[in-house]
Amino acid sequence: MSSQPRLIAAGYAALLALLALLLLGSTAWLGDSPTRMQFAARLLPPSPEHWLGTDALGREVWARTLAGLALSFQVGLSAALLGTLVALSLASLAMLSPLLDALVSLLIDTLLSVPHLLLLLLIAFALGGGTEAVIIAVALTHWPSLARVLRAELRHVHHAPYVAISRGLGKGQGFIISRHLLPHLLPHCLVGALLLFPHAILHEAALTFLGVGLDPTQPAIGVLLADAMRYLTGGYWWLGVFPGLGLLLMVLAIERFASMLREVLAR
Amino acid sequence: MLVLLCVAAVSFGLMMLSPIDPVDAYLGPQMAQVSPEQRALIAERWGFDASPAVQFRHWLQQLLSGELGWSHIYHQPVSDVIGQRVHRSFLLLGGAWLLSLALGILLGIAAGSNEGSWLDRLISGYAYLTASTPTFWLAMLALLLFSVTLGWTPTCCAGPTGVLSQEVTPLTRLHHLLLPTLTLALLGVATLTLHTRAKMVAFMRSDTALHAFAQGASRIDIAWRHGLGHASLPAITLAFASLGELFGGSLLVEHVFAYPGLGQATVAAGLRSDVPLLLAIALFTALFVSVGNLAADGLSRLTDPRTRRSHTNE
Amino acid sequence: MRRTIILALAATCVALSTPAWAKDQLVLAIGGEPEQGFDPLLGWGQYGNPLFQSTLLNRGPDLTPQPGLATTWSLSDDRLTWRLTLRTDARFSDNTPLTAEDVAFTFSAAAKAGGRADLSALASARAVDGNTVELTLKAPRITFIDQLMTLGIVPHAERDNGYDDGYGRQPLGSGPYRLVEWQEGEQLIVERNPYFYGPAPIFERLVFLFTDEAATLSAAHAGQVDLAAIPPALAENIPDPMRRVIMESVDNRGILFPMQPDEGQHATNGAPMGNDVTSDLAIRQAINLALDRETLVDVALNGFGRPAFGPADGLPWSHGDEQLATPNLARANALLDEAGWKRKQDDGLRYKNGQPARFRLTYPSSDTTRQQLAQVSAEMVRPLGIEMQPTGRHWDEIQREALHQDAIVFGFGSQSPQEVYYLFHSAHAGVGFYNSGYYANETVDQHLEAAQAAASAEDAYRHWQAAQWDGTTGYGVQGDTSWAWMVNLAHVYATNRCLDLGDLGVAPHGHGWPVTANLLEWRWTCD
Repeated sequence: MSSQPRLIAAGYAALLALLALLLLGSTAWLGDSPTRMQFAARLLPPSPEHWLGTDALGREVWARTLAGLALSFQVGLSAALLGTLVALSLASLAMLSPLLDALVSLLIDTLLSVPHLLLLLLIAFALGGGTEAVIIAVALTHWPSLARVLRAELRHVHHAPYVAISRGLGKGQGFIISRHLLPHLLPHCLVGALLLFPHAILHEAALTFLGVGLDPTQPAIGVLLADAMRYLTGGYWWLGVFPGLGLLLMVLAIERFASMLREVLAR
Repeated sequence: MLVLLCVAAVSFGLMMLSPIDPVDAYLGPQMAQVSPEQRALIAERWGFDASPAVQFRHWLQQLLSGELGWSHIYHQPVSDVIGQRVHRSFLLLGGAWLLSLALGILLGIAAGSNEGSWLDRLISGYAYLTASTPTFWLAMLALLLFSVTLGWTPTCCAGPTGVLSQEVTPLTRLHHLLLPTLTLALLGVATLTLHTRAKMVAFMRSDTALHAFAQGASRIDIAWRHGLGHASLPAITLAFASLGELFGGSLLVEHVFAYPGLGQATVAAGLRSDVPLLLAIALFTALFVSVGNLAADGLSRLTDPRTRRSHTNE
Repeated sequence: MRRTIILALAATCVALSTPAWAKDQLVLAIGGEPEQGFDPLLGWGQYGNPLFQSTLLNRGPDLTPQPGLATTWSLSDDRLTWRLTLRTDARFSDNTPLTAEDVAFTFSAAAKAGGRADLSALASARAVDGNTVELTLKAPRITFIDQLMTLGIVPHAERDNGYDDGYGRQPLGSGPYRLVEWQEGEQLIVERNPYFYGPAPIFERLVFLFTDEAATLSAAHAGQVDLAAIPPALAENIPDPMRRVIMESVDNRGILFPMQPDEGQHATNGAPMGNDVTSDLAIRQAINLALDRETLVDVALNGFGRPAFGPADGLPWSHGDEQLATPNLARANALLDEAGWKRKQDDGLRYKNGQPARFRLTYPSSDTTRQQLAQVSAEMVRPLGIEMQPTGRHWDEIQREALHQDAIVFGFGSQSPQEVYYLFHSAHAGVGFYNSGYYANETVDQHLEAAQAAASAEDAYRHWQAAQWDGTTGYGVQGDTSWAWMVNLAHVYATNRCLDLGDLGVAPHGHGWPVTANLLEWRWTCD
């Protein structure tokens, strides 16, 4: 009975891996279809020739949506990994001394009291916008909540008996950290990163939609949706519905997988 | 208090990092017409040529004395801009907060008390879906459907066109608030629903519920009579703690609906480098969210086991 | 109980419905919110028809001067002094008379106010008596008459309610309407000026909405606007209760090229100057040859426009020969090869002395049409091995960074040759938005000055044309190729079917409200 959720999770993981490969490799097999303008085929509704319709410059919506999802995936992944790294580092740092712990705590509280989007805006603004700025901004906005969890976990493990034994045997702090603490944290990091991932994607899309994020020449989902807003009232619904739907499905899939994994690991 | 100071420091630090020349930020569109001597004068007056620490202290002093700076986007003192927009955003945020709380609790209880049923699956599924939906996309679709296609709600702004601001009736104001508030509320509903549902599930399995079942009470009875009290406090706590997310959502919703509130001003300030306005709003919202977190902390202490036990003994 | 409910419902319906006095109030969503306020001294009404103020002369439908505040006007023989007689019944909206003092003050103050380089030609402005004013120039300037047609007259500073720093937000003028309320970024409400000397306008109240393109369109589709400016790309889908009205214009779009190489210099406001790619003549010529202007009109303007090869196509001060047979990729490629721009691979980017043929093409981010023009032209130029990177930025940022170092999709177009003078005379290099590419050519300068000193507007034409191409050099596509002009726009509006806009005339480039030029002739044809 307990193996069933694991099986489901494993199957899901395989599916997601396939999706990830597809998206990451999309730049290769999509070629220039996301950016190729077909002047004679502008603003066409979905049809067998143009699967999800075309936009104002005759570009295929399906190609742009896929490219946009790939971009969001990459940016979200980078931001999630960076954020997890920062959270891990700072949580470990906090363990080194009570003063550092207090400082890190203060930093976490500070960042958590500013609404995410506002903080994102501030950081992206400070860094001058662009892809790297978005990745850094998203990472810096999301590490606090994970850091909190990690810090609690570290505290918990720190007082565990086997750690005391190690210390009693004369092992150094470094040894304790690398042999006992970190392996314990790894599952939490994994889950944390995966939970961070969908939020990162959504926030990046929001930033780009507002005009502060990725370059508008790239077919990012935020760009597609911002453009679509102009054409909404003209009845060109496919420009906005499909990219948003794609984003929704991708985020949902990752979110579900992360929850599943969390359940499995909790056993 | 310390946290607020930190927020100020962090925000200020970020501004220092930005590629914007602070003199330009304060001059705005006039900058092309101003001579180099005048620029130096301005830099001196505002202390831009001093070290960052001194600038920070100077800025804080100005802030505490109520001088928030000049917004070059709106051609008004920053305090005026915030003052004008606060009550509009407050209506939006307040309405959305209450609505999401009410809906969240209702749906959560309905789902949690019927664990595993089709109702539960429907509600849970809906909650998961909503949690993964990009807010601005939902807002766009809502605008398209209800305002453009059906014409039930206005397409933009806080008041109807051509009417002087004093003449706008409260009812019309509500009409304009309706769709943005609903959209924003949808954000918070998901997390509240799932959280309440989890609490309800736990409650239905608890001893209290078993006792009530044994005494012949129906499921609905238990859920609504006893469960409501049990689940609402945690829900309210969570609601207070998610004020930050709510404000973030309002940035997007106000942008899509062209609702002239604080959120819209924030986006404009960020896009057009209105440093004083951006900083002031950052501090203001940090204050707002801190208050919310404090409330949440206070409430969670209330749901301490000791207090809870005294309730269920009635 | 039931009656209460019905009453409540009825009240709700009434409260939520639009006001019944729809025709006394006209709602317009045509953009044009001035950042500096409605102050003529700071640039309000630069393109004519400042709503709140009156001008000395008005521009007639054939572009010739008509009486406005001035009933008679004359230019002295030495072409240095204008003498105008004012009408006696002009009144400000606070019922005080408009006198020659006000006119003299307006012109003197405008000459000193920052940013209006055009009045630099003014030596003095004085009131001869209550109704006569004399404007003396430093040197003959044929285009000065434009100022008489576009500078709104403000009350002089010394009197009650006179001009002061806050004028832009509370403009007192003698025009047909007065300002009632301005919610910045949202809407402007104006009402008839009861003391206006001209025929009373039909509409008691006007509301100008300053919503962005998307919100304007939504409002138009929901029937909440009577007149809306529609970007040409979306002009196919005019919402049902409205009809499409097209106003011809001399409004054009083109790519301005920075003309100086990048030597690390900065303009007075600190913005970086120079671009190593666009300063090369071959690059500019190649781009001009590669642009398929017909397709640009089709794609970016949805057919609502025509190709443009210069800043004033079709106007008398434009050279007739300035057309190119485009697209001509073969010739463009040949030019680039000759100039030393070599490709590293067959289809790749060109390089010259290590410099890649790559630069940013900046456009104001809020403008869909310019965005599309930028994207499509970048696409058209790519096969040449030149990479133009379309970059959207807000105007603030453009001024701060891009103005003198990026290629910019600009819009110009005026009913006067004055604009040509500002765009291409070296004295205006780096001033405002005009000659921001730092174009400088002595011969062209001489032609432009000769035009200004001409005896009459007609005499001046041949000099203006020579500045564009005089057989040897010029700012146009046969000479220095300082710009890549792309298209001339037709202005598209969606109007309420009951609104009759009369004879619209020809619009200049519109940062104001060119469509309101004949506002006094508009009629409402429904009951």
